[in-house]
Amino acid sequence: MRAFLLELKLAFADRGAWLLVVALAAALALGVRNGAAADGAARADAKRMASAEDDWQRQLKSALLRSPLEPRQVAQRPSIAALPPAPFAALAIGQSDLLPAHEQVSVFRIEQPAEARTELENPGRLLAGRFDLAFVLVWLLPLVLLAAASDLCAGDREAGTLRMVLAQGTSPRLWLARRALARGLPALLLAGGAVFVAAVASDGERATARAWLALLVILAYGLFWLALAALVNGFARTAAAAATAAGSAWVAFVLIVPTLLNLVAESLHPSPSRAELVAESRAAAAATERRGGEVLESFFAEHPELAPPDLQADMLSFRMAVQSEVGKAMAPVKERFAAAALAQQREVERWRFASPAIAAHEALTELAGTGYWRYRHFSERTTEFKDQLLGFFEPRFHRREPVKAADLSQLPRFTFAEEPFADVVSRVTASVAGIVGLAALLTLLALARFSPRRLAA
Amino acid sequence: MILAIAKREFVDAWRDGRFRLAALLVLALIGASALLARAQNERSRTEREAAARLERENWVNQGEKNSHSAGHYGIHVFKPAAALAPFDRGVEPFVGPVAFLEAHRMNQTAFLPARDGTAMRRFGDLSASLALQVLFPLIIVLLCHGTLAGERERGTLRQLLALGVTPRALVAGKAIGLFACTLLLLAPAAVALAWITADTPAQPGADITTRAVALAALYSGYSGLFVLLSVAASALARSARSALAALLGLWAFNCILAPRLASDLVHAALPATKLAEFDAAVNADLQMGLDGHDSRSEHMQEFTRRTLAEHGKSRIEELPFNFQGLAMLEGERFSSAVWQHHFGRLFDQFERQDRAVARAGIAAPLLAVRHASMAFAGTDLAEHRRFALAAERHRNEFVRVLNEDLMRNAPPGDHRYTAGRELWESLPEFRLAPSGFGDAWSTAREGALVLAGWLVAALALLLVVPARLRGADA
Repeated sequence: MRAFLLELKLAFADRGAWLLVVALAAALALGVRNGAAADGAARADAKRMASAEDDWQRQLKSALLRSPLEPRQVAQRPSIAALPPAPFAALAIGQSDLLPAHEQVSVFRIEQPAEARTELENPGRLLAGRFDLAFVLVWLLPLVLLAAASDLCAGDREAGTLRMVLAQGTSPRLWLARRALARGLPALLLAGGAVFVAAVASDGERATARAWLALLVILAYGLFWLALAALVNGFARTAAAAATAAGSAWVAFVLIVPTLLNLVAESLHPSPSRAELVAESRAAAAATERRGGEVLESFFAEHPELAPPDLQADMLSFRMAVQSEVGKAMAPVKERFAAAALAQQREVERWRFASPAIAAHEALTELAGTGYWRYRHFSERTTEFKDQLLGFFEPRFHRREPVKAADLSQLPRFTFAEEPFADVVSRVTASVAGIVGLAALLTLLALARFSPRRLAA
Repeated sequence: MILAIAKREFVDAWRDGRFRLAALLVLALIGASALLARAQNERSRTEREAAARLERENWVNQGEKNSHSAGHYGIHVFKPAAALAPFDRGVEPFVGPVAFLEAHRMNQTAFLPARDGTAMRRFGDLSASLALQVLFPLIIVLLCHGTLAGERERGTLRQLLALGVTPRALVAGKAIGLFACTLLLLAPAAVALAWITADTPAQPGADITTRAVALAALYSGYSGLFVLLSVAASALARSARSALAALLGLWAFNCILAPRLASDLVHAALPATKLAEFDAAVNADLQMGLDGHDSRSEHMQEFTRRTLAEHGKSRIEELPFNFQGLAMLEGERFSSAVWQHHFGRLFDQFERQDRAVARAGIAAPLLAVRHASMAFAGTDLAEHRRFALAAERHRNEFVRVLNEDLMRNAPPGDHRYTAGRELWESLPEFRLAPSGFGDAWSTAREGALVLAGWLVAALALLLVVPARLRGADA
């Protein structure tokens, strides 16, 4: 312990080390602040939307208590499918600035190729990305760790003092490990602290369990970079060469591999064209409309229970029958979109251990609730909600059955159940295990390099 | 003397294994990204063209209907893929390439390509421009940091000066030699750019070649800047190690920290309108005028009174045209002005933010270079605004033609009037004229000037360095 404290003291004897720690603390503070601000804005939006939905339900109830309403009057106002605020949004803004967190669902336009609206955002800002906590942890923390630990012993070797240090009888491996930890620990402690501050700024209770997992991710990720620094020091003859090698590794793992993986995933599993989707679905709608009465006949033949009492279909019945036909025609195209997105994500997950930065980023956005799987879950739940709404309104449209006050309890309202936490834990644990595995591999290589036999040679 | 030193520096760098490795890495990255991005861009181009043809068929085959109903049926228009996007995709993944044009409202462009991808995109888009903006400066720093500091550490600097080599000639020769090496590293990017340019279908007025030359000049300047800064740092630092530390710090700030930091700070200082505020403002303004549909509104009653008075009639059925058509025309004129005002204001706010980020290039040149690069490649916000505005002009024209048809040809009071294929075919197809180099330059100027300022400052620094070199070595 005393030796460790001595290493710590030595590490901070340099003013540069203090500067690094202060710069990291400032970056972490800014990251937490930005994440908490984005989380606050999302919560305010969700509250506004929930209150508007409650108002509408109250108005509807009082109208229905006065007299039953035509189903088209009730369906006139689109229903809102809203994703609740992310459980630990202050950790990572993730995809939340890009993907819609709510969708207006109208039973009359369910098959229309439209995009849910999102907050108005400057595309330049989406391109640059946000300065959030995940950015500091995934991009900057390794730079700080490498800057602090890139010269574990290369400088001593260059100056010829390494032999003197090792001649004191200390195990070179233990000495190296102690030195690496002393250089990296302050940065890791600061990062861990920032995660818990972010948890308090987010949804405290739900976020705390996630914060502990995030801490594991950070420790594993930090360990990887410290092991890399140790390995580099096993080879580099000068401090400059060690810094060059460590910097190049950072560029490879944080810049090149993730961007290359994105390009490969998009090229292997290209998303179908949205432009063609809109044109094709309108062509399908036009073709169905041209078939006119035949569409209705076949629709009522398939759904005799929905046939209107006098068998005289009105415009609304026709519109719903057309919509149903278009839905059937476009289902395979939509399926291709979902399949391409899933295949791209699977590709990313398959190759995430090619760079610990990818695994750490995936794990942190997963814990924040702003990653791929939660948004996919929301999208699937919205599709189910559309079916539920159709299930409520469609029979009433066809049978021209009014909506009564007693029916209100059956009118679907969007609810979102979070994915089981165990699923999140299992994905995050896999990421952590992968990063730890990579770190262990580098550690073993570094330890082998620092074997007394090799050093003696 | 200067040329001899430059030649020597060039040969030394060429013999350095690290240089060859860097060259190979640059070649592989730029080559792979250009090939894949070119294929992606070509796919986008053909898909959008096919979608535009199909949508035109949908439009002309929509059948007989009331001409205003056709306005509600609407039409989708598609943004053409930018020719130089394989070099620099800019904001293309984050803007919608599809605009739905319909009566009464101007819609936001939709279907951002990034929404169909994974979160890996947030690490950046691997393209020639990313390699040049981020990796290139790092390679230059690694290659050049020891050029003078190393000579000093080895004791050869004193020997060189004793031989009568002037510090100015030494610094200039080293900078020229290293810049020549950098140009050699830039060659794969230049080849990729030339290939993309040559492979682009001819677009009169798009000035693709001029844009490509401007991109080549921009990145040569940016690379030159890092050579100058690295040579200056190498001359001023006490050791190669401290030169490397300072230059790596500058690189990390410029390439990693500054883009997000500047973007967040600028957006905090110059916030843009939020969606809820935007909707509320548009709705409030739309309430103040004619909407063309609501016959009970005060504005419609006033417009009816005024029209009847102008024509000396007492009932709208007596008017020599379909009054509903005229009301639609008038309503559209008003609502279009409202939509254009609010979307114009939003685009102004975004452009102001982008200009501020480019000006922050004074602290981090990457911000200026990125701004100019996107503008030259035609993948920036200004280009997207051109598409959105052209789509809005097309919407105004097509809704005007439909409403005028209703006004002129529908018998007054007859709601069963329908138009057909002849009218639908008379509406022109959407065409977005390519923007010329002048348009690109008007946006890129800000970033290009900031980079020029950096170059001048770095050259000035290099003029001061020789004196320090002699002083430090003495």
